Amino acid sequence: MKMVKAEGLTYEYIKMLETDHGTEEEKVSALKAVDLEIEKGEFVVVLGHNGSGKSTFAKHINALLEPTKGTLWIKGMDTQNAELVWDIRQTAGMVFQNPDNQLVATVVEEDIAFGPENMGVAPEEIRRRVDEALATVHMEQYATHTPSKLSGGQKQRIAIAGVLAMKPDCIVLDEPTAMLDPSGRKEVMETIERLNKDEGITIILITHYMDEAVRGDRVYVIDDGEIVMEGKPKEIFSQVERLQQYGLDVPQVTEVAHLLRKEGIDIPADILTVEEMVGALCQLKLTI
Amino acid sequence: MIRDITIGQYYPVDSPIHRLDARVKLTMTFIYIITLFMVNNFVGYFFVIAALTGIIKISKVPIKFMLKGIKSIMIIILFTAFINLFMTKGVHIIWQWGFLSLTVEGVILAIKMCIRLILLIVGSSVLTLTTTPIQLTDGIEYMLRPFKKIGVPAHEIAMMMTIALRFIPTLLDETDKIMKAQQARGADFDSGNLMQKAKSLIPILVPLFISAFRRAEELAMAMEARCYHGDENRTRMNRMHMQKGDYRALTMGLVYIAAILGLRYATNFFPFII
Repeated sequence: MKMVKAEGLTYEYIKMLETDHGTEEEKVSALKAVDLEIEKGEFVVVLGHNGSGKSTFAKHINALLEPTKGTLWIKGMDTQNAELVWDIRQTAGMVFQNPDNQLVATVVEEDIAFGPENMGVAPEEIRRRVDEALATVHMEQYATHTPSKLSGGQKQRIAIAGVLAMKPDCIVLDEPTAMLDPSGRKEVMETIERLNKDEGITIILITHYMDEAVRGDRVYVIDDGEIVMEGKPKEIFSQVERLQQYGLDVPQVTEVAHLLRKEGIDIPADILTVEEMVGALCQLKLTI
Repeated sequence: MIRDITIGQYYPVDSPIHRLDARVKLTMTFIYIITLFMVNNFVGYFFVIAALTGIIKISKVPIKFMLKGIKSIMIIILFTAFINLFMTKGVHIIWQWGFLSLTVEGVILAIKMCIRLILLIVGSSVLTLTTTPIQLTDGIEYMLRPFKKIGVPAHEIAMMMTIALRFIPTLLDETDKIMKAQQARGADFDSGNLMQKAKSLIPILVPLFISAFRRAEELAMAMEARCYHGDENRTRMNRMHMQKGDYRALTMGLVYIAAILGLRYATNFFPFII
């Protein structure tokens, strides 16, 4: 069974426009007939610039939004089925952008317990899950601290632990690093990768940072509510000009490689990291 | 500077009072407040002061912290004292001017009222200084549960208190940021008369409210994403347990009530007690 499966997923909403003749209604399509499949255990990145519809897509996975047309299945459960809402939210946990606006309690461990408490898990089991989740995100020593005293990266790891305590199969992260400093970003990315590799949790990472997208198994590019590109990071990022057309940057080294190729220097187009670039350049020197 | 404001005034030390169940402490504070209004003579007050001093000693919280609260209600105390001093009608008149009269009865009543107010504040700060906000909200939720049948939203009240406590530091930070941003653009919060000062707060309050509403919306969504649906089928990680000490404290509470009642009606037999 596919972890996530979308068929013709469409989401429309009415936007009120203030014009000279009073307010007018305008129908906006945030998602237009999106088809996609995500396997269990995959690390999928959804790329897109602001307003491309990537956050709207994320909210559908958690059944926070209902599709206007089309269907979305999470582990075979239709998100439009109201009876399955709590099962879906438990299966596909969600981490949001602003760490301050998703922590509920004044003590770290109480916050992590919030999800399982809502699910009606027995107290001893909650205790066990909270300790386990704290250990997974390496935050054990902060169990009794207050969230407002933690750094952005730490708060985001607590938010991830809060989702982990619900024992999800899949975690959707909606730009989890957008409000963090570089060190916080690194902490969160390492945590996400560890969850995917060690715990086998399916990760759907929504982002517009290219260097984060590179780490995924597969990348979807969304533009104006449609999936315009799909493939392995190397396949996607070698198409520099097309990405720029969608308002996206490519990793810096990839752009350098692209420019070098334009100048007639023969190096691979799918260079994603500095290490690869160094390797390619050194070999280039040998052939000269 | 704005960060230094402490929320809730919990004083973290380990003492028998700190270890008491929050429900017991809430009940005792409730009893204490009611009995304060039953005391009608100085012997009674002396007894209450002695009991309170004992509890404060056991709680290991410096008396200085306990008395802090009095400062904030000083005006109310002075006002009460003034009204009682000059407005009480009595037979032993000391001094009179127009409708103002100073009587022996008035002096006694004013002293009693001031003692009562001070004891009220100090007594309730024992509760907030020795109980963490979380224990307090959990305790309140539990105590309000019987009133659910008549429509008191016990769980919702406790949840609102938790969220408020959680967001106070966040919103204080935000206020600080907005103030600095406005100051950087030449806003002046410190000069002018009271009216002008109040007016200069508008550019802080408007963005603060807008951002608070936005936060509330995002938080609501995040809570829903974590399966929050009220207190239906909800469990708690930390359950409250009554221990030996809690029952002992409750017994002492009963003795206390008996003593207060005894002292109240003692005036019937010993009329010389005032």
